[in-house]
Amino acid sequence: MIAPNAVPYLPRGVRLHRDHVRDRWVLLAPERTISLDMIGHAIITELDGSSGFAQIVDRLAAKYDAPAVQIAGDVQQFLGQLAERRFLEVRA
Amino acid sequence: MAWAKPILKEIEG
Repeated sequence: MIAPNAVPYLPRGVRLHRDHVRDRWVLLAPERTISLDMIGHAIITELDGSSGFAQIVDRLAAKYDAPAVQIAGDVQQFLGQLAERRFLEVRA
Repeated sequence: MAWAKPILKEIEG
């Protein structure tokens, strides 16, 4: 569970990459790859290394004109899946 | 684009 003020970020060695051959966004880590849909890509691009979880949710809620509570739940789950796979770290 | 639950997929070799 990521706290509202905790800062999620991509750790060293993980980067966002455009796969032009398959026309999709992927997260690359050493010897591992995760493909993202457009919403996943939108979330990742909000991870600037200084914004807290709540700030990220607020920006996405404004951008997509959707309820923050719904976005918070979806983003929490999405980032949790990335953290489980070590594609994401969180700074308290 | 409307908000939707994000989906990630791990890619294999």
